[in-house]
Amino acid sequence: MNPADRQQAFLAGARACIPLSPGVLLFGMVCGAAAAGAGLTPGQSFALSWMVFAGSSQIVATQLFAAGAPGWVIVLTGWVVNLRFMMYSASLAQPFRGESRGARWLAGYLLTDQAFGVTLARQLDGRRDIPWFFLGIAATLWLLWQIASLAGIYLGARVPPRWSIDFVVALTFIGVLAPLLRDRALAAAALAGGLVSIYLDLPLKLNLMAAALVGAAVGIGMERLWPKSQSGA
Amino acid sequence: MAEIAIWGVIAGLGLATFATRLSFLALLGEAELPRWLKQILHYVPPAILAAIVAPQLLAGAPGLAATLDGPRTAAALAGLAVAWASRSTFATIAAGMAVLWALTLVQW
Repeated sequence: MNPADRQQAFLAGARACIPLSPGVLLFGMVCGAAAAGAGLTPGQSFALSWMVFAGSSQIVATQLFAAGAPGWVIVLTGWVVNLRFMMYSASLAQPFRGESRGARWLAGYLLTDQAFGVTLARQLDGRRDIPWFFLGIAATLWLLWQIASLAGIYLGARVPPRWSIDFVVALTFIGVLAPLLRDRALAAAALAGGLVSIYLDLPLKLNLMAAALVGAAVGIGMERLWPKSQSGA
Repeated sequence: MAEIAIWGVIAGLGLATFATRLSFLALLGEAELPRWLKQILHYVPPAILAAIVAPQLLAGAPGLAATLDGPRTAAALAGLAVAWASRSTFATIAAGMAVLWALTLVQW
């Protein structure tokens, strides 16, 4: 690809993130506010935002910090939440085959659900400009995320507690969860995960780890029982 | 937790996440994921997302005697319905918070 085409692909990626930006800004602010509200310093809260750069696991880490979980449980649980990136990484490896090592490392650092989802749709359309389109949308999302995090870190404490703004976190996750419930096995995995986290109170705050394991086991079990419910993914 | 330990946890989670993102893009080379790993990766996200949400619907602590909080559970169900129909995070949050505030105002 010549530089002009690259630039065009990058800009197309940056534009593609416009429709996603309200949700991303809101979630970023919530994550920033939650971290600051859990007692992390502004520097630590912002470090979560650029070092981890993954909303769900930032929230999980924040909640576990607040609950006094041991450090290794926080790292392990937060990492399990992010295991899905391995699927995305495998899927992006092919279009990035000819790109430089720097471009591939940058793509890895910037990899998120939204950047991957939009890029995959374009890839399925048969477009050839995937790497630079991806870098365009991913870098723009990164920038929006950091701005939103800083806003959340500094403004979050000014929201009165009676507004129950903490519930925005739960609703954001429901918004992410709903489209995942595509078949019976996926719904069963979610139900199992939810029930485990309600009824099981494990030491060391290992509840989420247990929920992930039981949920995956139930989902795979359901898939064996009703192979037709398996999705193409 | 001590200041330095908090930094260690944040950096540790950051590096573990970065390694996961880089896995096939830069570290392992192109490869097909084994089937068992694909299956696990397929089911972990819904399980863990539901596990993050569920305890926030409780009136008290998790455990065998856990009971649901009325307004929060109603708001979550409203959010789920809107999320299902609209696929919009923004609409989900707006609907859920509207229900929660309304029920809190009328003192459920």
